[in-house]
Amino acid sequence: MISLRDKARLMMNIYCFGRNLVTTAASYLPPVQLPTQREVHFWYILPDEVKSTTLLNRYLEILSPCEKENIFRMRGEQLRKGALLARALVRTTLARYQTNFQIDPKSLKFMKNNYGKPELDWQYADDWSLPHLHFNISHTSSLIACGVTVGSPIGIDVEEKQRRLKNDILAFAQRFFSPHEIEMLTHIADPELRLQEFIKLWTLKESYVKAIGRGFSASPFKTFTIRLRDHHVKGDIHAPPLITSKAPDITVVEASDDVKNPSNNWQFVLLELAGSHYAAICIEQNSVNTGNGRIPINLTLRKTIPYVEDECISATDSAVVIGGLTRLSD
Amino acid sequence: MAASRSTLPLMKYLRVRVDALPRNTPLTLASNLLIRRFSEEVRGCFLDKSEVTDRVISCVKNFQKVDPSKVNPNAHFQNDLGLDSLDSVEIVMALEEEFGFEIPDNEADKINSIKLAVDFIASHPQAK
Repeated sequence: MISLRDKARLMMNIYCFGRNLVTTAASYLPPVQLPTQREVHFWYILPDEVKSTTLLNRYLEILSPCEKENIFRMRGEQLRKGALLARALVRTTLARYQTNFQIDPKSLKFMKNNYGKPELDWQYADDWSLPHLHFNISHTSSLIACGVTVGSPIGIDVEEKQRRLKNDILAFAQRFFSPHEIEMLTHIADPELRLQEFIKLWTLKESYVKAIGRGFSASPFKTFTIRLRDHHVKGDIHAPPLITSKAPDITVVEASDDVKNPSNNWQFVLLELAGSHYAAICIEQNSVNTGNGRIPINLTLRKTIPYVEDECISATDSAVVIGGLTRLSD
Repeated sequence: MAASRSTLPLMKYLRVRVDALPRNTPLTLASNLLIRRFSEEVRGCFLDKSEVTDRVISCVKNFQKVDPSKVNPNAHFQNDLGLDSLDSVEIVMALEEEFGFEIPDNEADKINSIKLAVDFIASHPQAK
């Protein structure tokens, strides 16, 4: 008797092998299990890997008229392709979470909250009941990502590691970052290292603001501090296994908080993806402080090309957790 | 009782006496100075919109990432120029340097096209 989970896994593997069957598999999206509490599903697509015009047209078919219009209004093929892939990624991914029967990705309706943050519109979920899925998207020209949770606001941000700043890093930090962060960056002498730390901080700060969902102006970057601090696991028998205990702990402190007591509601993960990008994830958790430790986030990474293939990425060269208490599942 | 209109005392004109204000008392001198300075500031300080547009456009064209041929007064940072959130913040910083004043975060949030940048700067008296 195969369990439901194993059955899903089997189907997933078969799907993964059928990578050349674009035309026949064009309408099939294997269902996936919902994220549990404290679990994040992080899906991403590399635009350079999607070349087939047939496939891109297939993606266009599932978009709403409004989304299509927005895309056609853009100037530049790469820009249009990026926008198309982002919408296709969100729609196909969210549609897969209904395990009872297939949902047409085209039928999903989206709306924006009072501050412009995109969300699933639950009003239209008539026939099927999708539990409260939260999602957030981030793009760069070379990687587009979508993070999904159940019952917890989520914010993600992705940046290229090789990204250059037009302005001087410290001048930029002084204008936009908090005093602690400026100090931290100032202490880094090597300009390359300083740039890397800057980008990590930027992605973490963006992910926090996007998780809160009230826009840049409601949580100005200067008013909160993100800290990455190595925590020492002193052979604590209560520490769960499979933790990348070398990854520094990440905390956020609002200006109004005491620096020693960071806000415990938000948890972060910082990843290095495909050797080329930093990705930050922020979710809201009512974390229970188990003595010195915190409960880790379960993270599932999937590189995907909707309707073609998924690749489950575990802790390999493709993904390295560089911050935050995380358990990478395979 | 309808009184005839012609019997009502109507004022056909009113003569008002206007006295010139004495110009030499310190109080009036001071207030004149204040008033004069304020007017000059207001009159002289809003930049001309077409000048602002040119300066904003050249600021944005300076960005390596941007394709200069796409930069026109109607260009949207994200949809037309392919800029992301970090780029937009960098642009805000470049505009602050160009025009010599600080753009508050809650306004910076909304500046995501050339037109919005121009409108904002042209209506700000502190822009130089």
